[in-house]
Amino acid sequence: MTVTDVLVCALGAVSLGAAIRVVTTNQIVRAGLWLVVALGALAGVYLVLTAELLAWVQVLIYVGAVVVLMLFAVMLTRAPIGRSDDLDRPRLPAILVGGGAGLGLAAVLADAYRWSYIGLSGVEPGNAEALGREVFTGWALPFEVLSVLLLAALVGAIAISRPEVGERREES
Amino acid sequence: MNDIQLPPIDYAALLPMLIVFGLACVGILAEAFVPRKHRFAVQATLTLAALIAGLVTVIINRDLEVTTIGGAVTIDGAGLFLQGIILVLGIVAFGLIAERRLERGGAFVANAAHAADSDGDKKQLNEAGATEIFPLTLFAIAGMMLFCVSGDLLTMFVALEVFSLPLYLMCGLARRRRLLSQESALKYFLLGAFASAFFLYGVALIYGYAGSVQLVAIKQSVLDSDKSGVLLAAGLALLAIGLLFKAAAVPFHVWTPDVYQGAPTPITALMAACVKAAAFGGLLRVFNVAFETTSWDWRPVITAVAMATMIVGSILAVTQTDIKRLLAYSSIANAGYLLVGVVSLGGAVGSSMFYLVAYGFSVLAAFGMVTLVRDADGEATHLSRWAGLGKGSPLFSAMFTIIMLGFAGIPLTSGFSSKFALFSSAWDANQSALVIVGVLSSVVLAFPYLKVVVLLWLNPPGDETPTVSVPGYLTRAVVGVGVLATIVLGVAPSWLLDMVNSAGTFLAK
Amino acid sequence: MDGYLGSYATLGILLLVAGAFFAVAYTANRLLRTNAPSAAKSTTYECGLDPAGGDWAQAQIRYYVYAFLYALFAVESVFLFPWATVFDALGMITVAEMGVFVAVLALGLLYAWRKGVLSWTTA
Repeated sequence: MTVTDVLVCALGAVSLGAAIRVVTTNQIVRAGLWLVVALGALAGVYLVLTAELLAWVQVLIYVGAVVVLMLFAVMLTRAPIGRSDDLDRPRLPAILVGGGAGLGLAAVLADAYRWSYIGLSGVEPGNAEALGREVFTGWALPFEVLSVLLLAALVGAIAISRPEVGERREES
Repeated sequence: MNDIQLPPIDYAALLPMLIVFGLACVGILAEAFVPRKHRFAVQATLTLAALIAGLVTVIINRDLEVTTIGGAVTIDGAGLFLQGIILVLGIVAFGLIAERRLERGGAFVANAAHAADSDGDKKQLNEAGATEIFPLTLFAIAGMMLFCVSGDLLTMFVALEVFSLPLYLMCGLARRRRLLSQESALKYFLLGAFASAFFLYGVALIYGYAGSVQLVAIKQSVLDSDKSGVLLAAGLALLAIGLLFKAAAVPFHVWTPDVYQGAPTPITALMAACVKAAAFGGLLRVFNVAFETTSWDWRPVITAVAMATMIVGSILAVTQTDIKRLLAYSSIANAGYLLVGVVSLGGAVGSSMFYLVAYGFSVLAAFGMVTLVRDADGEATHLSRWAGLGKGSPLFSAMFTIIMLGFAGIPLTSGFSSKFALFSSAWDANQSALVIVGVLSSVVLAFPYLKVVVLLWLNPPGDETPTVSVPGYLTRAVVGVGVLATIVLGVAPSWLLDMVNSAGTFLAK
Repeated sequence: MDGYLGSYATLGILLLVAGAFFAVAYTANRLLRTNAPSAAKSTTYECGLDPAGGDWAQAQIRYYVYAFLYALFAVESVFLFPWATVFDALGMITVAEMGVFVAVLALGLLYAWRKGVLSWTTA
């Protein structure tokens, strides 16, 4: 067991535990906050596995923006802030599907890689420069199309949620 | 550091997509700055111009065969033909989207944020609809074009999202029956996001197997990789789920009837014609280029999916009482027929593309005519309301009959020639079991279509038989083109068959 | 402790210290404080007034649009970091690539501004 092994296992356990809390807690806001822990621990895993930029992207986008977005979405609803006992959540099918998919994928990956070992010392870390070189050369097209996707998402979000207030001002 | 070089970019090859993407962005700009009064005209013109310019450049490119921009895009005969199909069907669907004469302000709601049936919602019934749909449509169509020519799975994923996202949004913009429309948008979005996750997980597993996401590299590594085949099979399965969801194949079809029913009918038409073409374009490319050599691996599964899709689609179509749901189940069954083309691989690519053209035109005309049967509450889609329409509106009923007979696969319609071409190429590829199931299920599927025909002509009109609106010139053009194509492709299909066969197959090197 | 992980050792130690500080502070607090809970103490504090209404106000959709804009531009800024490290080596072409990317997103911002999403109150 190297330090890397220990850290990956520990962070993985944290992530898994938090993820289970996300789907079992009865309080919607807490589910969002557990998600922060789960995603944050995953960022830690990325970091240990030398995917530096990805780790910080995870923190910035997922732990930061996406969870904020989700909490705002919860606040838009009339969901109560406290405990909701009427969450519609069939437990047995959920456990079967979720657990089955998780175990199945784990089995596939374990079977595929067995005990093959890749040392991290010889690997070039996935830092900003390495990713930049990839994104801005080989992946230029998906990168540009991504901006169009974001634009479409923004325009669509405004089109379906447009607050009336702004619209009136525009007409004047 | 100077060893890093940008991959060469063939701008001519990308031009059709660049035009559509670019003019979609101009459309956003127009949305922001053109005064409300002129916005509709400007947007409609821009959209039509973009689609036509895209089509012209695709035709100019027709002999191009090139892999460009680092392998992200593979322009080949089949890819260009698919892009052409999407653009042509997009132009026709545009006629329905831009129609504003059937209903004041068009088929789209002005302000989707109002709660359904609230005061604000009632007040906006007569306001002009949102014009954002035009750039969103262009984004969707550009995404579909890219989807069909993606050379790697990541580009394919981004393209998938680019065409899906605008569709999710537009599903929620129906002017009438707001709740149904919102429900359809939400369902489509949640299930679509789920399917995207499957797709992405599949890409990850395949990357683990092949060490690359490029289709040609995957093909190569299938031949000489020493990794576990289970990894590849699992990746392929997840990838296929993502794609089959978009294609509406059983058992990933559950969203289809609800979404087709709730979405504004022009958008339903766009989904049934263009998205089908894009989804099958992607499926054909992935299976023909990357996984052709592992066909022993996936063929039994996809065969089973194809059979289930044909059977479930046609049997459930029989029980439908709503015309939009009936057409939705019919589109599921048609997805099954197209899957026969996917399973048959190489030789059936041409006939699959022919099928996409034939089906696309017919389905556009069908949904175009659905928009015409209206009462005070908008479209009257329940079949009981269609009884006896033949008495008051013989021309309409005759046209709809032609389309229904086309769907049923009666000779001298495109439904017959396309099914014949598809099934005979499947037969040549030794897929006899699939052909038998296909023929049997299309016999079953003929029943609901003929039921509609009987309903139109032989049933007595009810007290509240709705009127058939005098169509605006746009819808008239759409229906005319669709009916004409259904007949022409049935009577004289050879020129298009020659065209799809000379378009060649996918570039796999 | 050297190599790749070693470079993050300081951060790791800092995280541990922070966690320990938090635990120690709260444990000390719990051990040292008196404990006399009452119903009045656990009501919401609203500047000394008696709290009125429930504890949950439904938020307006515009908060969401702001959050959405934030998420969008967070994604954009994430791409700026790798770009900043390579544009020197790759030259003007990446500047053009990034320019297109930013311009397309700026278009979205322009649209949002024209639709009045960015102004909080009606003018």
